[in-house]
Amino acid sequence: MFIVDTDVHNYWSSAEVLLPYLEPYWRDFLVRGEKPGPTGSFPHGHRPWLHPEGFSRHDIKPESEEDNYLIMKEKHLDFYDIDVAILTADEPLEASTLANYHYANALVKAYNDYMIEWWLPKDRRFKGSIIISPTDPHGAAAEIRRIGGHKDIVQVLASHGSQRPYGDPFYHPIFEACAEVGLPFAIHFGGQGGVNHNAVASGPTAYYWETHALLSQPAMTHVVSMISNGVFEKYPDLYFIVIECGVSWVPSLMWRLDANFKALRKETPWLKMLPSEYCRRNVRFSTQPLEQPQNVKHLWETLEHMDGQNTLLFASDYPHWDFDAPTNLHIPPAWRDKVMGLNALEVYKRIDAPAATARVA
Amino acid sequence: MTATATATARTFACKVAEVAVGKPRIVTIGRISVGIFQLDDGYAALLNICPHRAGQLCEGPVCGTTRHTDRAEFIYERAGELIRCAWHGWEFDIRSGKCLVDEKLKARIFPVHVDGEDIYLEMGR
Repeated sequence: MFIVDTDVHNYWSSAEVLLPYLEPYWRDFLVRGEKPGPTGSFPHGHRPWLHPEGFSRHDIKPESEEDNYLIMKEKHLDFYDIDVAILTADEPLEASTLANYHYANALVKAYNDYMIEWWLPKDRRFKGSIIISPTDPHGAAAEIRRIGGHKDIVQVLASHGSQRPYGDPFYHPIFEACAEVGLPFAIHFGGQGGVNHNAVASGPTAYYWETHALLSQPAMTHVVSMISNGVFEKYPDLYFIVIECGVSWVPSLMWRLDANFKALRKETPWLKMLPSEYCRRNVRFSTQPLEQPQNVKHLWETLEHMDGQNTLLFASDYPHWDFDAPTNLHIPPAWRDKVMGLNALEVYKRIDAPAATARVA
Repeated sequence: MTATATATARTFACKVAEVAVGKPRIVTIGRISVGIFQLDDGYAALLNICPHRAGQLCEGPVCGTTRHTDRAEFIYERAGELIRCAWHGWEFDIRSGKCLVDEKLKARIFPVHVDGEDIYLEMGR
């Protein structure tokens, strides 16, 4: 089976891997400037929650930078016969939590150069994400244009923690750049701290498992905002990919949106379709962490209401604690070929279709 | 958990010296990966496959956990008696293989026999 894993975290052992890729002023900042932890920690405004066991699987124990790749290769890429792994970084997404957007831009730029030089050449299965800091949309757009033409870059990626809903015109320079270079815009769970203080509605929860269960909250806001603000009218070919935000909430949200839109469409005269139709056309959702009801048929029925067969993209979230294995993903068997890999080909145009597989219409 | 021999087929797993309290030994027997644990009162063995999502159960931390209480106090207990799956962190009793939040979910256990310096498992079906 052709497998595209849309969420593979390429870890580092120390953020100092970025030093060769930083301009001198920012290199000094990372070397001598204040950090949220010991030497090697990545600058970020920390979130109110600390994971009581750490984020990584306990069987992943790199002892060198090279191990971060070698272990991934052995325990994930080769073990599950993954055809394409989309690298989604890890800590660099947290640059969006810094108030100093110049520093945030410098850090994600250094990460992107490091990723292109260190990770992409290691394995033919790797595809990269341009990490941006949404705190400076024009800076982000410049970064997208700088490297967006790289053949192995397949998306632009930002944290789902942000200062405003992503449909806000403030962010449209990012989508303009995505459309220009032909890349999807993706968000990934994270950036829940620092300047992004609205990561959980009504205020921060106390415990990490609460917070993680609520990871859909900002995603809901962003999906609604992208639709209502007409991003998909302005950029009809733009795909918006929601990674690691859960999926079973999508149908009920669309039901409410469609009902409200029918009554109050006059507020947003630029919309030409129902909200659910934009969602179906332009938004895709990664599967992980797939909800786990007692009776899996309850999940499957829910997923049918969002046309999950065509809107879901497999993701493992390797090597995190809430990892979903490709061999154990509870989706309807008839959907597997599409969800595990073929749907990704529709969204990530730069991924070559497997020779033996026709593209899905 | 004695050295008494029986007629049951036993398979050599590892040496006693290769296992320590809190530091299980992962051994591969045939095509089966098993975690061998030393506890305060003997040894135990668990299949290194988590019944939750087939993760590498025995490669997680050996630990204790918090007792059920009626108020906000954190009483740490059962230190060294639990294995927290390396993947998703579900807690299992090392001796019984039972998952703490759902006892119906059970990791496979193998009876252990110690013969001198050698640890043997009963691996019959």
